[in-house]
Amino acid sequence: MASTEDKPANKESTSSWKDSIYNPRTGEFLGRTACSWGLILLFYLVFYCFLAGMFALTMWVLLLTLDDYVPRYRDRVPFPGLVIRPNSLDIHFNKSDPLKYASYVQHLESFLQRYNDSTQQGNEDCPPGEYYIQDSTEVMTKKVCRFKRSALSLCSGLSDTNFGYSEGKPCVLLKMNRVTPTFTERFGSPIQMQYFPIEGRIDKMYFPYYGKRAHEDYVQPLVAVKLLLTKEDYNKELAVECRVEGSDLRNDDERDKFLGRVTFRIKVVE
Amino acid sequence: WNTESKPNYGRSDSYRVATTQDKDDRSPKKKKGAATKDMDDLKKEVPITEHKMSVEEVCRKFQTDIVQGLTNAKAAEFLIRDGPNALTPPPTTPEWVKFCRQLFGGFSILLWTGAILCFLAYAIQAATEEDPAGDNLYLGIVLTAVVVITGCFSYFQEAKSSKIMESFKNMVPQQALVIREGEKVQINAEEVVAGDLIEVKGGDRIPADIRVVSAHGCKVDNSSLTGESEPQSRSPDCTHDNPLETRNVAFFSTNCVEGTARGIVICTGDRTVMGRIATLTSGLETGKTPIAKEIEHFIHIITGVAVFLGVTFFILAIILGYSWLEAVIFLIGIIVANVPEGLLATVTVCLTLTAKRMAKKNCLVKNLEAVETLGSTSTICSDKTGTLTQNRMTVAHMWFDNQIHEADTTEDQSGASFDKSSVTWIGLARVAGLCNRAQFKAGQDSLPILKRDVAGDASESALLKCIELSCGSVRAMRDRNKKVAEIPFNSTNKYQLSVHETEDPNDNRYLLVMKGAPERILDRCSTILLQGKEQPMDEEMKEAFQNAYMELGGLGERVLGFCHVMLPEDQYPKGFAFDTDDVNFQTDNLCFVGLMSMIDPPRAAVPDAVGKCRSAGIKVIMVTGDHPITAKAIAKGVGIISEGNETVEDIAARLNIPVSQVNPRDAKACVIHGTDLKDLSQDQMDDILRNHTEIVFARTSPQQKLIIVEGCQRLGAIVAVTGDGVNDSPALKKADIGVAMGISGSDVSKQAADMILLDDNFASIVTGVEEGRLIFDNLKKSIAYTLTSNIPEITPFLLFIIVNIPLPLGTITILCIDLGTDMVPAISLAYEAAESDIMKRQPRNPFRDKLVNERLISIAYGQIGMIQALGGFFAYFVILAENGFLPSILVGIRLNWDDRSVNDLEDSYGQQWTYEQRKIVEFTCHTAFFVSIVVVQWADVIICKTRRNSVFQQGMRNKILIFGLFEETALAAFLSYCPGMDVALRMYPLKPTWWFCAFPYSFLIFVYDEVRKLLLRRNPGGWVERETYY
Repeated sequence: MASTEDKPANKESTSSWKDSIYNPRTGEFLGRTACSWGLILLFYLVFYCFLAGMFALTMWVLLLTLDDYVPRYRDRVPFPGLVIRPNSLDIHFNKSDPLKYASYVQHLESFLQRYNDSTQQGNEDCPPGEYYIQDSTEVMTKKVCRFKRSALSLCSGLSDTNFGYSEGKPCVLLKMNRVTPTFTERFGSPIQMQYFPIEGRIDKMYFPYYGKRAHEDYVQPLVAVKLLLTKEDYNKELAVECRVEGSDLRNDDERDKFLGRVTFRIKVVE
Repeated sequence: WNTESKPNYGRSDSYRVATTQDKDDRSPKKKKGAATKDMDDLKKEVPITEHKMSVEEVCRKFQTDIVQGLTNAKAAEFLIRDGPNALTPPPTTPEWVKFCRQLFGGFSILLWTGAILCFLAYAIQAATEEDPAGDNLYLGIVLTAVVVITGCFSYFQEAKSSKIMESFKNMVPQQALVIREGEKVQINAEEVVAGDLIEVKGGDRIPADIRVVSAHGCKVDNSSLTGESEPQSRSPDCTHDNPLETRNVAFFSTNCVEGTARGIVICTGDRTVMGRIATLTSGLETGKTPIAKEIEHFIHIITGVAVFLGVTFFILAIILGYSWLEAVIFLIGIIVANVPEGLLATVTVCLTLTAKRMAKKNCLVKNLEAVETLGSTSTICSDKTGTLTQNRMTVAHMWFDNQIHEADTTEDQSGASFDKSSVTWIGLARVAGLCNRAQFKAGQDSLPILKRDVAGDASESALLKCIELSCGSVRAMRDRNKKVAEIPFNSTNKYQLSVHETEDPNDNRYLLVMKGAPERILDRCSTILLQGKEQPMDEEMKEAFQNAYMELGGLGERVLGFCHVMLPEDQYPKGFAFDTDDVNFQTDNLCFVGLMSMIDPPRAAVPDAVGKCRSAGIKVIMVTGDHPITAKAIAKGVGIISEGNETVEDIAARLNIPVSQVNPRDAKACVIHGTDLKDLSQDQMDDILRNHTEIVFARTSPQQKLIIVEGCQRLGAIVAVTGDGVNDSPALKKADIGVAMGISGSDVSKQAADMILLDDNFASIVTGVEEGRLIFDNLKKSIAYTLTSNIPEITPFLLFIIVNIPLPLGTITILCIDLGTDMVPAISLAYEAAESDIMKRQPRNPFRDKLVNERLISIAYGQIGMIQALGGFFAYFVILAENGFLPSILVGIRLNWDDRSVNDLEDSYGQQWTYEQRKIVEFTCHTAFFVSIVVVQWADVIICKTRRNSVFQQGMRNKILIFGLFEETALAAFLSYCPGMDVALRMYPLKPTWWFCAFPYSFLIFVYDEVRKLLLRRNPGGWVERETYY
């Protein structure tokens, strides 16, 4: 008895299932007629256009309030981070195999293109030892202090196009992040190495940075480190930590391992 | 359906008890297997044969002695053999299964999947990376905690409600008086074994099924077993083959009303008749409650959406070139964003709150989900006795001085009174007071008369109270008129008489008073008292008497006649020895005084409540074991058969044509007799239920109640059944919502029910319906509110994956919204007052009116949710832009942004950011997005307060909601500004201006919805209503 009762119900349910996709009697597709679909889609079209307009309006208002030269809040980047070039925290190469270090050398070479003496010729030769402050509000475009590639001496890639990689004494460039109004003083590393410029000092004259728009050709001062590795250091992975030291700098943030410091590993194979 | 097939229809005489006989005749046509089994079991003859055996045979069978009882050793042996004399509680699900159900049911599976994926992702990271980020592990733990905590919460909620039920179990162990080894001992009823010789007296509950061996005026109340409200006498003689009808068996859990009896226990525990019904009831399957179905439906929708989106974006992520690990993490994010984690807890809390509110109004809800079921009820099958009526015989009418007088039957004596000055009335009151063995139990002088307990049968108690109310102390009257002789009522005489001294000390005559069946009394009378004067009983008076008798009988009332006579002093001088066994005095040529008729009157609040039910579109069906005449009278009295509506018989009587010529469609009301019911086919039954709006079922047996409930359910109705007896419990269990009576209800019925009316009052059901409807509306609002925030939770993920922007809203913040800020406002919507008179609309159609429908989803997801998402994104863009990342460079920045080795990412202003520095900005964005959602949810909760009315019409009187607004804001501020939150939840302090980013959007939501509701009210049934009224 149960089976006879169930059968028609089953038939009904299959047909209603089909009907729920397309019902030929009422012309309903997914439970709506074409007209009903049209209306609801039109409504949503208009509604979303309106919302898009509203969103665009608020975004426009937002952009109006922003300054073109400086971000409104700079408190999230109070201290600069420190990064190295070549852009790898694991420098690992065979000094006798040029193919292994070619990428590092190319990377450094291309990075230093902006520091070519020819390019830097057009920049200002600022008085060293003091901040190069250009607070004039009329002139929005700020002058840039010259940082010549040749100042990096042995690590400039001019005399040694292999940046010391071929002799097992590789150069690493240290670069401090650009942050708009920061004043830094001195740069140093805890490990004895050869620095260029001498003492690994970054001159005050390169600061402050006035932002991308005002300071278009700005180049960050660099410090090159030539790692004077000896025979004993080869085939070993060495951890090198560099810290920037200065009156307004932090290099001991617990969470941010790149704030004013950088740790990288180097392994040179003979 | 043809009336001709039912010759017995509406016949008022010859109602014999319809218990097992009815059951045996029912043809077995049940479709469901389980139901068939139950029905068959019920139909089985009760396997008791002891009533047909002689006492000696019974003694032999149970190895007991008629005088000495069992020996202690035998009793102990039997106790071990049969187990304790108690009903096995219905099989309960083990606690751990219940717990697991909470832990792995609903959305939990989805969240577990998320958590497992988290752990998996962490495991992969741990295996492949040297220094794996703990994010996934952390999230996995949080998700697990969320599932476990919400699971525990639901479990404890459930445990709490089941504890309420346990409190109903009788904690005081019942005692029984047994005779063992010749000594009477009081033992726990649980220790009674088959063969025990026990003694019961008036007021005791019978501890087991017993075969009566001797009885003195013993009467038992079998109402909890058979629904028969009349107490039945018990004696040692077998009077019927059917054990349920024979006089020499008394049943477990019925009450001994008066007298004493001694008997041998023949069945104990589950083997008793009561035990069998209880076991059957617990075996009856019950369907899911409507709200459970709704929630399941809703979970399916949400889970479907979550799985669909999750899988789509997982595949999309793989196609877009993300790694497996990243794709899995996206999947987790989408699942977490899609699941309204707090919603099930919110629903539970809302239902609990309503259950508490109902408990205050005397509706105790055993099963939380039943709270709403009552709201969707479309048919109520109500028992009569005790639910619709006061369950107390009361004198309703009197006939004296050739006139019918109406007595006050209201519970608080607020009704009309009659003229009490007539001398005839004083005479009638004297007869009723004196010829009456009922008396008030001691120590109740402070109680109102109607509330006092009376020792004696129902009719005599009714008379006693009536006289006490109108003439003062009956005890004093009896003291003044000392009783000298008495003949108690018996079924051959059908009268009761007593002889008293008169009040006047100088009058040495005796007063004989008599009451009994009116026609018997009339036969013994030669005169009648009219206006205090005795006049000869002529034909005219006899006809007047007949008319009055018929009229009162037609009202369904039990009529008694009263007469008296002053015995002449010369024949019966003072000190005359009245012999009651061999009557040596005058018992005819008496003087007829009057008639009094009694009924169990309807409760005062019931007619109003029935009216409310009717306007709320609920059909009220009366199902009773009582006589059709009485049932119909009460049905008319309370409005179940409304004024002006006629049954087929009424029409036939009015038009003076045979019943068969009346078109049954003309009659809206009908009274159906149990014996007719059993002859009806399923189609005829459906026909009756469909075509009659006002139905009374009289003389129904337990299975017939079940059939009625099933019939209603077959027609798609959601059926509520009220009942108090054991005989009602199968129907209670079968009903969508069983309502048991708290005061008069038997334990078995309470066990089977979903709800208990603490005051036994039908009117409380109406309150329950109202609350149930309100909570359904409010749950819709609550769900609409909660679901809306899913869109601002999910869109960040989608944009993150598709257009590669930094993640705008993190998984932890999503959990903060779902389980933190959204909770209190969502719960507060449960306190929202009704928008309109919810008792004026039809009950919801369970097939059409869903809790969550496409319109709700359209509003929540498609409209309000989108506005909310824009508000959140606006805040996100504001923060990034003000920190240097303008919107133009954001698209596609994600690859570098989330790369740990890029520590000089340049922004629009040329600043370079380390990974950690930009992550702090990102988390600040998450916080701002979160705060924005809180801000837009302010508007959302306000618009969700109403579905049709304007907020300005509804007002802001919901204090909990206002508290909720402040609470969520405070919580958001706390999460943002509390020191240490940056480490714990990675939430960062916001600059005050960032709080205002979402304000325009919040305002837009409010305005948009007010406009929508305005259009909705302006054009009822219009496009806006069809597309957006949820």
